[in-house]
Amino acid sequence: MEGTVGTALADLERSGLARTIRDSFALTATLSAVHAVGFTLIMGGALLSNLRLAGALFRERPAGEVVLPGVRSIQAGLAISIVTGLLLFAPRAVAAAGSGMFRLKMLALITAVAVQFLVIRPAVRRGVRAGAARYLGIVGLAFWTSLALAACAYILLE
Amino acid sequence: MTFLEICQWLESSRLGEMVTLSQWGFPILVTTHLLGLGVSVGTIMWMDFRLLGWFLPSVPVPEVYRRVAPLALTGFAVMFLSGIVLFVGYATSAYGNTFFRIKLAALLVAGVNAAAYHLFTERQVATWTGRRLPWPARAAGLVSIGVWTTVVLAGRMMSYTMF
Repeated sequence: MEGTVGTALADLERSGLARTIRDSFALTATLSAVHAVGFTLIMGGALLSNLRLAGALFRERPAGEVVLPGVRSIQAGLAISIVTGLLLFAPRAVAAAGSGMFRLKMLALITAVAVQFLVIRPAVRRGVRAGAARYLGIVGLAFWTSLALAACAYILLE
Repeated sequence: MTFLEICQWLESSRLGEMVTLSQWGFPILVTTHLLGLGVSVGTIMWMDFRLLGWFLPSVPVPEVYRRVAPLALTGFAVMFLSGIVLFVGYATSAYGNTFFRIKLAALLVAGVNAAAYHLFTERQVATWTGRRLPWPARAAGLVSIGVWTTVVLAGRMMSYTMF
């Protein structure tokens, strides 16, 4: 990692906050545990909203009534995961940013979030047809599952 | 034979060695365990949110349960079976680990809470009217959210303190 980004990441790693987290095993483990709670909220929301769109859950209820609470759960999970994720990233910013697994996880995250919030949510708010909804639900499930797999790969193989 | 000796015997079994020595056994098992956890807890929470009146308040509780239970139980079965195989591989480390004990205790409370809900609280379901359910139903939802959050937290702490 070179250039301005590399310098910024190295500075982040040297910061007092990063040092505090790096030096505390308990803090690192606690942040990681709370990160997992965020992941669970995201999974729960993604499952509910996309299974409804795919026609596998609460098919007779209006899509918005099921999908929008799911989206709120994803938002809450993302808020928790992003804050704890940034705090976990700070102590090893240079190594993490250079890791292929970490980049894969971030790519999966950005793609899943973009699909859910830029494609699926607006479509549900407009009132999506059943055929298109099924397709969107399957696509949404595929992207969130990819994120879950990428997150596991980063934890276990890095 | 003490429980610790049983743990040692499990760890030295063929299955235990497969978990710890195979290159892909551990990552695949943990990934399966985490996905099972995500599916089970991620769907149980919607039942809990319904009991608290935060989700589909106009839909009867048994209807919500009937829809989410198959998914929650499938996720739980995957999590439970992969968890047992993981335990066989690392039984002695798990036996002495505080967070493993906390996780087991939380799972036990989750089971008792679910049983109490289905055996006693749910019997009054025909009388539940309005958005706000009686306090035993809301308490069951709140306890469930608390214990499953504890399971997730303790499970992640285990990976930091066991290996």
